[in-house]
Amino acid sequence: MVARVWSLMRFLIKGSVAGGAVYLVYDQELLGPSDKSQAALQKAGEVVPPAMYQFSQYVCQQTGLQIPQLPAPPKIYFPIRDSWNAGIMTVMSALSVAPSKAREYSKEGWEYVKARTK
Amino acid sequence: SESELGRKWDRCLADAVVKIGTGFGLGIVFSLTFFKRRMWPLAFGSGMGLGMAYSNCQHDFQAPYLLHGKYVKEQEQ
Repeated sequence: MVARVWSLMRFLIKGSVAGGAVYLVYDQELLGPSDKSQAALQKAGEVVPPAMYQFSQYVCQQTGLQIPQLPAPPKIYFPIRDSWNAGIMTVMSALSVAPSKAREYSKEGWEYVKARTK
Repeated sequence: SESELGRKWDRCLADAVVKIGTGFGLGIVFSLTFFKRRMWPLAFGSGMGLGMAYSNCQHDFQAPYLLHGKYVKEQEQ
């Protein structure tokens, strides 16, 4: 009887842990639309580092350990939006200003040659 | 439209990270609770997350700004 109750209890605990995880995912809409995921990732990036720092401070206080000041974690942020087609943009802008630049440089060169031949 | 494409790529990558991570996390929970620490729930969850992210991305990139003719209803005068 005790074994049966214990196995039932274990199943209930496991089921509630798994159900809680599924509910958390559903509640935060982590498996939902992509804009919600992006917002969740941004929010996590803002919330998690201070929370980790506070937790480490709390652990230090409770245990009396002196953890040396760690360097700030590197910021991992690669916005593709800013660098999307950057090569094409650069080449196209260079091509678009090429005639005026060529005119400018040729004028400078001509002035230089004229000054030298005087 | 260039910045819109870049924005879509940003959203896709963020979505993929979140979905794969979530699937992996759910896989860990289910592996520990119900499946005797087997590895397959982790792979299954991550794969599901990857598939969801891929599907979202595909939908995002195929969503056009132009209204196709078949969706435009004839306006009554």
